[in-house]
Formats: sequence, C-alpha cells, structure tokens
Amino acid sequence: MTSSPSRPAAARPPDAVPAVPSPAAGPRPGSPPARRGRGARRAGVRVLSLLALLALWQLAAVAAGNPSFVPAPRAVWDQLVLLSTTHDGVRGYGGHLLVEHLAISLRRILIGSALGVAAGLVLGVVLGTVPWIRLVAEPVVTFVRALPPLAYFSLLIIWFGIDETPKLWLLAIAALPPVAVATAAAVHGAPTGLVEAARALGASRWDAVKDVVLPAALPEIFTGVRLAVGVAYSSVVAAETVNGVPGIGGMVRDAQRYLQTDVVVLGLLAIGLSGLLIDGLLRFAETRLIPWRGRV
Amino acid sequence: MSSHPDAPAVPAGTDVAAVRLEEVEHVYGGAGGPVAALGPISLTVPRGTFLVLVGASGCGKSTLLRLVAGFEKPTSGTVRTGGTEPVPGRGAGIVFQQPRLFPWKTVGGNVELALRYAGVPRAERARRVPDLLERVGLHDVADRRIWQISGGQQQRVAIARALAGDDPLLLLDEPFAALDALTRERLQEDLRRVSAQTGRTSVFVTHSVEEAVFLGSRVVVLTRRPGRIALDLDVGLPRTGVEPHELRALPEYAALRAEIGRAVRAAAA
Repeated sequence: MTSSPSRPAAARPPDAVPAVPSPAAGPRPGSPPARRGRGARRAGVRVLSLLALLALWQLAAVAAGNPSFVPAPRAVWDQLVLLSTTHDGVRGYGGHLLVEHLAISLRRILIGSALGVAAGLVLGVVLGTVPWIRLVAEPVVTFVRALPPLAYFSLLIIWFGIDETPKLWLLAIAALPPVAVATAAAVHGAPTGLVEAARALGASRWDAVKDVVLPAALPEIFTGVRLAVGVAYSSVVAAETVNGVPGIGGMVRDAQRYLQTDVVVLGLLAIGLSGLLIDGLLRFAETRLIPWRGRV
Repeated sequence: MSSHPDAPAVPAGTDVAAVRLEEVEHVYGGAGGPVAALGPISLTVPRGTFLVLVGASGCGKSTLLRLVAGFEKPTSGTVRTGGTEPVPGRGAGIVFQQPRLFPWKTVGGNVELALRYAGVPRAERARRVPDLLERVGLHDVADRRIWQISGGQQQRVAIARALAGDDPLLLLDEPFAALDALTRERLQEDLRRVSAQTGRTSVFVTHSVEEAVFLGSRVVVLTRRPGRIALDLDVGLPRTGVEPHELRALPEYAALRAEIGRAVRAAAA
C-alpha cells in the first residue's frame, strides 16, 4: 500500500483548518516535554489566527456599513443567544432552538451517510473484484459523482415527496461515490503478497477477501468515509431547500429569504464547526480502529 | 505430528515421493516476448528430505518453488506433491522472502489465523499458538503488534505460521535473504533444529552456498536461465546431535562448501 501514490493526497480531504489536533499527526513524538511545548505553540497559533480572523470580520462589517450585507460578530453572537432561548414567547428560530435545528440536520447526515457508506462499501468491493462490473458501473458512479446534489433533488422530490425520504436519499447518493471509489481502488490494489500468503495457508477466496483484502483496504476506505461525510455535510443545505425547517440548512434558507444575514452566518458557523468536530471524531476513531495504517 | 516429534512422517507402505517433477518447463510470457525460466527439469524428492535449491538470481529457482506450491502451472511437464497436482493451501506450508504477516493481527493472531485456515477448532487454537511460537524460539510476543518486533522475529513468526497446518511439505523461498548476518545465522540454526525434530520434507531456495551446505540434506545447483540441474548432491552431514559450530568446523563441511561453490560459479558463468 505504501506504493500507492494517491494515498497521501487523498488522506487529507479539504479540511483547511484541522481544529482537533490529530493524534495521528505524530506517531513518533519526541520527548514528552518537547511534545507539550510544540502542542502549546500550535494551540497558541490557532487562537491568534482565530482572533485575527474575528478582527478582520469586524473590520469588514464596519467597512460595509450594512448589517444585512455583513453582520458584525456581535450581531451573530446576539442571534446565537436569541436562538438558543425562548424570548417573547418565541422559541429559538421557527419554534426550534439552534441546537435542535443542528441535531435534526446531524441526524439526517448520520442516517444518509450511513446508508451511502454501506451501499458504497458493497458497491466498491464488487467494483474492485469483478472486472466486467467495474467496466459497466464505473462511468455511472463517476457520472453521479459529477452531479450537484441540487440537480437530482428535484427528481427525488417527484419520486418521494417532500418529507424526510428525499433528504435521506439525497445525502445517501451524495455520500456513496467517495466510499465506492476509495473502496474499489483499495480492493483492486490489494497487496498480492499478503493475499498469496493467505491462500498458501489454506484460505478460501472469501476468507482472503474478508481477512486480507478488506483489512488492507480499511485505511483507504476510512479516508473515503471521511470524504463521504464531508460531502453529506456540504449537501445538507441542498437537501433542506424544500421543507427543510427544522434543520440547520432549512434555517439558513429561511433566514436568507427574510434577509436575516446574522442568522445565515450563525447557521454557516454551526454547520462548519460541527463538521470540524465530526471529522475530528472520525480521525480519532481511525487511529483507534486502524493502528496498522501506513504499515501494510 | 507435533505430539511425536521424532516419529517419521512416512506412513508405512507408501512410496509416493513428497515432490516429483517430470520434464517440467516453464515459460513466462512478457512484454519483451516469452522468457524460458526453467527446465526441462526432472526431480524426485523423497519424504523427509531437506532439499536446498541453489543458484544465481534469475535461474528459475523461485519459479520452481512457485510451481511446487501450486501458484503457477508448468508450461509443460508434470508437478506432483504427495502424488497429486499441487494446490495452494493444501499440503504445503510456505515461507516467503518477506514475512508477509498481517499487520491488522497481533503476532499470536497471525498464527491463530493459520490454525483456523488449517481447520483447527477454536479451543485447540488458543493452546497451540504459544506452542508454535515457542518452537521457533519466540516467547512473550503473542500480544505484540507486527511492527513492534524485529525483522528476524517476524520471519520466525512466518515460519511458525507455515508450520501451523502440519502440512507434509515446507517450502521456503530465500526466507533469510533480507536479514542481517547474525540474525540469519541464528535462524538457520533454529530452522535446522526444528527441521530435524519434525523430519518434514522441505524445499529451501537460496543463493547462498553456505546456507545450502548448513541446512540441506540434499543440495541441487541450478544453471543459469532456463534453470536446469547442474549438480545434485546428497549431503552426508549429521542432522542431529551436533552443535552448529562443530558442524561448520568439520572437514567434510568445508569440502562440500567448496564443491557446491565451484558448481554454482560454473553454472552462473
């Protein structure tokens, strides 16, 4: 697997700011004090950059001079407080608190990407092992991958109505290709030496797939899963364009209609930050579940 | 077999050779046209033999081993192990040049998997894993990760794994070539001991004359590609009851080494 040139590039999906310091980043750290010192410095740099960003934002808001165009950080903060409480008999936004909007979207992302990941895994294994199916199905997967989720959402609404079902379908379809492609590539490029070793020990074809090909593919599959969850995340706003309230994406769409820019920005921050958190959790799970990453 | 380490592996009344090659030729089809890798070659290996195949790199000795393992079918001629056509995973344990251990399993897990493939019931597997590791000189490493043990230890695990199936045949493809000299020597000594204990038929491929003389009960030198038999020699050295350093100091040892060395050089020329 070390010979796979695409891995290092694919291992870092477009998460520009890794908020959670990855434990995988330093498998062989120096002495503990040195590591602590480096960690502190990194945390310091992050806090500083965050403060700088806030300052820039404030500057931009002042320069724009129009809160409907660029709301100030303070206005967004006020909305956070407002949307997290009941005030004047109104509960949060549209009757739901911010965390409830977020929780409902997260639930959709979870179910949708779980379905997509499961289907992508099966499809990927088939694509990676049966050449003629690969020949037929690979263009289809690439085709679906190229479609923006909003494009096929209309079709899903015609087929499944406007409730939960089309939203989950959309997220599942969006999450499927990254996992299918990563799995197919990893299964196809299974280390022949290890497969041969298993066969020499008396493994059946299925044994070899289950005990060698899949575990060997797991690091790449996991990268595919992280990408898939990322895609599901970025598709949730699309999925909630129709009948999306409650839901964080629906909330953003709704606020946009009433030019509540501070709520829009708040919604974006909530989506982005929860995304970072979930990617951090996935990375943590990865180091726990796949300690042999990079050692095949 | 493990309960009677000194009993011969030959059931009474059978005279089927462990390995029999008849007029075997092997040609690889490549981008640059077909390449004759081996033969024609005929070879009969009686049960209990420790056969070492020696030759320069590219002489087809690994090809021969892959044919015996059943990974490849000969272009012409017949290969038989235990009287039947070889199938990978049936009747032969294999040790490769690289350990080829599974990094998602612990050291013990690797051996356990081999026992599972060999059809050993779960309860017995747990009991036999430490036994097998002990047999190749490993203690207290069953719970380690593969990358936490040295290259020499990894190759020991690979040998334990190949022994797990109690197959009548053990095939080794330059298993010590990637190790440092000191580790290699110790593994050679341990393999000689394990082999003498089990009496298992073995085919060992190497390019080292020293290794061939030390390990083999019979040494076959192959010519340059396509590999044919240049020398076929029974090594009359004692298999048991002699310390490795005593063995290496015997005058016969030096004579054999010289003779095989000459043959290898002549075959490579």
